[in-house]
Amino acid sequence: MSAAPSTEPNAGPLLSVRGVHRSFGAGPSAVHALRDVSFDLAPGTMAALIGRSGSGKTTLLNVIGGLDRPDSGTVLVDGTDVTALDEDGLSRLRRDRVAYVFQTFGLIPVLSAAENVGAPLRLARVPAAERERRVELLLELVGLADHARQRPGELSGGQQQRVAIARALAASPRLLIADEPTGQLDAETGLSVMALLRGVVESEGVTALVSTHDPTMVALADRVIRIADGRLEGQLGEQAGGQDVT
Amino acid sequence: MRWHAALRVPDHRRALPAPHWPSVRGRARADAGPLLLAAAVVAVVTLLAGAVPPLLTATAGDAVQDAVRRSGRDSDLLVHARLERDDGVNGGRMRTPTLAEDIDDFRDRAVDALGPGLRAAMRPPVATVTSPVLKITDGSVLRTFQLAYLADDRKSGGGPHVTWIAGGPPPPSAGGVDSRAEVPYEGGKPWRVQVGLSEADAAALNVRPGARIPLADDQGNVKDVQVSGVFRATDGADPAWGLAPSLLRPVSGADGVGTTRFTGLLSRESLPDARLAFGPDDLQRTVWFAPDPGKLTWDSAHTIGAKVVALKATSGSSGAIDGSLKWETRLDDVLRNVRVQVAAASAQASVLLTGVLAAAVLVLLLAADLLVRRRAPALGAARQRGVALPDLSIELLLESAVIALSAAAAGLALARAVAPGASWAWVIPVVLAAAVAGPAFGTLAAARATRDRRVPANRSARSWARHTVRLRRAALEAAVVIAAIAAFVSLSQRGIAPAADDAAGLGLGPVGGGALPASAPALGVLAGTLVLLRLMPAGTGLALRQALRSRRPLAVFGAARAAATSARVLPLLVLVTSAALTSFALTLDATAVRGLEDGTWRTVGADARLDVLPGATASTPGLVRRVAAAPGVGQVVAAQVTDNVRFAADSLVDSRRLVVVDASAFRRLLTSTPLPDAPALARLRGTGRGDVPALVRSDDGGPPEGTRLQLLRDGAPSIRLTVVGTAPAVGDAGDVVMVDAATLAAAGMPSVPDTIWVRGPGAARAAAANAGAADVVLRDDLLRARRAAPLTSGLLRLAWASAATLLALGLLGLLLGAAASAPERWQTLTRLRTLGLRPRDARWVAAGELLPPVLVAAVGGPLLGVLLARLTLGSLSLRTLTGQAADLALVLPWWRLALVTAALLATVAVVVPAESALRRRRRLSEVLRVGDG
Ligand SMILES: Nc1ncnc2c1ncn2[C@@H]1O[C@H](COP(=O)(O)OP(=O)(O)OP(=O)(O)O)[C@@H](O)[C@H]1O
Ligand SMILES: [Mg+2]
Repeated sequence: MSAAPSTEPNAGPLLSVRGVHRSFGAGPSAVHALRDVSFDLAPGTMAALIGRSGSGKTTLLNVIGGLDRPDSGTVLVDGTDVTALDEDGLSRLRRDRVAYVFQTFGLIPVLSAAENVGAPLRLARVPAAERERRVELLLELVGLADHARQRPGELSGGQQQRVAIARALAASPRLLIADEPTGQLDAETGLSVMALLRGVVESEGVTALVSTHDPTMVALADRVIRIADGRLEGQLGEQAGGQDVT
Repeated sequence: MRWHAALRVPDHRRALPAPHWPSVRGRARADAGPLLLAAAVVAVVTLLAGAVPPLLTATAGDAVQDAVRRSGRDSDLLVHARLERDDGVNGGRMRTPTLAEDIDDFRDRAVDALGPGLRAAMRPPVATVTSPVLKITDGSVLRTFQLAYLADDRKSGGGPHVTWIAGGPPPPSAGGVDSRAEVPYEGGKPWRVQVGLSEADAAALNVRPGARIPLADDQGNVKDVQVSGVFRATDGADPAWGLAPSLLRPVSGADGVGTTRFTGLLSRESLPDARLAFGPDDLQRTVWFAPDPGKLTWDSAHTIGAKVVALKATSGSSGAIDGSLKWETRLDDVLRNVRVQVAAASAQASVLLTGVLAAAVLVLLLAADLLVRRRAPALGAARQRGVALPDLSIELLLESAVIALSAAAAGLALARAVAPGASWAWVIPVVLAAAVAGPAFGTLAAARATRDRRVPANRSARSWARHTVRLRRAALEAAVVIAAIAAFVSLSQRGIAPAADDAAGLGLGPVGGGALPASAPALGVLAGTLVLLRLMPAGTGLALRQALRSRRPLAVFGAARAAATSARVLPLLVLVTSAALTSFALTLDATAVRGLEDGTWRTVGADARLDVLPGATASTPGLVRRVAAAPGVGQVVAAQVTDNVRFAADSLVDSRRLVVVDASAFRRLLTSTPLPDAPALARLRGTGRGDVPALVRSDDGGPPEGTRLQLLRDGAPSIRLTVVGTAPAVGDAGDVVMVDAATLAAAGMPSVPDTIWVRGPGAARAAAANAGAADVVLRDDLLRARRAAPLTSGLLRLAWASAATLLALGLLGLLLGAAASAPERWQTLTRLRTLGLRPRDARWVAAGELLPPVLVAAVGGPLLGVLLARLTLGSLSLRTLTGQAADLALVLPWWRLALVTAALLATVAVVVPAESALRRRRRLSEVLRVGDG
């Protein structure tokens, strides 16, 4: 793996979602969280995934990131079929190519900010010297160089989310998935976090898929994907007739 | 976990808190697991702690019976009284034809004096009348003769049944049965007495009915004793014969080294003649009561002991002329010794039980802690909905009280089934902990949930709050340490067992004077654990720093979690305490078992010992040869061992055990056994000139080297000895004089070996096969018997039961601790999984978190336990049970301690995969969705 921003050798999409279905439960009480979702994402784009609560955003992001498996359909990340990977393959995918930023930050409380950022590098067995350099760089990037020794519990929400973003970038993933990264932050902080994301997409050359409720955040995205009731908005009209909805 | 239910409407205006039943039920159902676990702990500990005291009381009764049985004749209660005067009207002594009836009256009087309690515990009495010991005046061998009359309380009168195989029972010698002949006090010719002889005695003396036995007393006065007949005992095992064994066969050594005693049986008719044949006060009449061990209980032993002491106190002085009763027995000593043993055993039992209780209380606290962790969100939510704190406390208290009490009742019912009379007393702390800990923790958690909002904002107020918490903890720790020190001081000063005279009751009870010293090991373990707890964060911090620098990427995650959890007190407290107390119990057990073994080495002296029967000593050399030739026999050493040999030092005469043996052979024997070597044996080889060198051993230290002793002999010049060192112990005798056989023979006293020690794997078989004319004592048999002795086996079993319970509690503590920290651990692991941690690596990280405290307990626990065993061993009085002379040396049961360590580590090895298997069932997405934190 390399820390250098990738300059996209192949022209195809970085993310390709095809015909993904995901439902919960069975029978009449089944919830169809995703219905035949298909879309592509070109490398280096920052896409906003928007939709009302319960529309299936988190479900979609989980399926893409390999945290959940679709009932049918395929997800290709950087040419790899995520849905075909076993647990170890998924672990490797998360380690090397896909990173997450969660609404609840998901930092490890017993580690300092710097150690949190360094954690993916440890898992990837990056040598200590290189790891330390990169951690320093990333903390600098998210503006938290002075807070390296603090534990998550000693940081504000916005700071924690910045640490989470730095951590997500640590192993130079190809795809960054963020599920409502600003959901627990006030508007101003949220905006600065979003701006940070926007900035790193550019500087690190990653592709980002960010879900959000907030229309003001949407302005920062290259592309907007709307989801409603488990369907992508663009597809809604297209497929309404063919879909048997209960 | 979120509290969704709509639940209750808080009801304000109320004077008394009222429980809200649906909430109580809902909570109990949601946390059935931990609650049932706590109930199980209470039930098991109640069973153990409830059953032990009554079992101990029963065992104490068995121990009394056992001790009395073992003490043999020492426990007999004897009463003497002078015979009434027999002055005749003419200034001489008059024959008393009713003497046998007088003896019967005397016996009945003694029975009356016993009182009902003591009488009920005694076998039927036997009255004896014995003459002074006379010398048989023919030949050069030292043979002695005594006349004896036995009268048990059978209707027939007289003693045990005999069959006359030649001649007949002794008739009155002159003038018929009712003769009231009078003899002058001085100068008359010896009055004839008729006696019967047993077959063996008659054969050894080579006499037939009608023969006269040539006898004289110490002053050389000739006695006229004629054999009326030769008898055979109908029942040689009748205990009455035991009162004068030489009635049945010659007994050697009874009157000094090299003597053989014979005894002639008097009848009711010849008894009056015996009276006249000796001086007015020469005949000794005695009534013997032998206690019936089967009728003794712990309680009756106490009253009997008191009655015996009272009887002994009423005994007139020995010079009294009247016929007052003089009581004599060592029964009270035997009973006092048992009391001391029982007191020691019950104190040891309370040490073990206190340990179990302490560990159980800690486990219950840990269970309560886990429960409250699980419930904290719900409790906090309830508070925020406005449920009053007292209501909440009452609800929690109701729940835990019902569970604790019903579990205790179940445990107690079981205990009652095992041991009737099981009591609550010991169980109270456990039930209290089970009932109160949960509500207390829960109330605190609920109170904190609402108070947290008001955490002081300003820095100094926060640091002050931290300061008070720290102070409170330090105060608690100081209290435990001080209590531990106090317990140790009182233990080492007073010992564990109360003095014999205080040992009236069973010392087993949670309250009272014995409680503090009995809790010394438990408190010591607690104090030691607190020290470990203080060191723990430093240790895990160090480990974390190492892990951060380590090349292994996973080490840091486990270490970081371990460092975060290392400050938690209860889990480590439970782990270390139970591991240490388990090791303590195991060490105690191993030490006692080894002590028993050493005790049997001391008693027997080798793998087997042959005690050659008196009269068969001529066969000893042949026996030695045969045994030595048997397969698997290493050393064979023969010695003459004679008890009650009189030695004079300066003007004092005392009796000791004399051991005459080949010194170098005996030393070789010693070095081949675990018995201590005695280098001084090398000094026994005499020069052939001057005094015979001797080793002396005394309970009171013995005479210093260079002291001169004289070995006194009847009818032969005494032999001069010089003390050259301390004798090795030979058997259980306290006072031993040991000399070399060849040296003593050179000084004019050839030895007659009568004891053969046999060492080697085939010793037991060789000894048993060649027993013939010898009693065989096998060390293995003795060891088995001693281990089976009631108190010993009871205590060893209790040690095992305690060790098992403690280990189980420790493992349970491990599980509870793991369960309590599981949510946070898996939150971290889930987050690491999103970063690309592989599932199987997650297990290593989890193990890395769980291992440090377990390692501390697995290593520190046994060390702490052994240290405490070492510190308390001297005060625990284990040797009262093991029958050793000296204090025991600590024995470390390495294998079992290693098993304790292994059990703890193995549990981690099981917990981690089980835990991860449980969590693996849920997808990462679900875990994250539910909110991992
Ligand atoms: N494990 C599950 N079991 C049953 N239903 C589920 C499960 N997970 C999600 N759902 C349902 O799937 C639908 C989509 O949920 P999802 O969490 O993806 O919505 P969302 O768009 O992320 O909403 P929000 O903006 O509130 O986070 C919802 O109706 C939800 O109830
Ligand atoms: Mg969502």
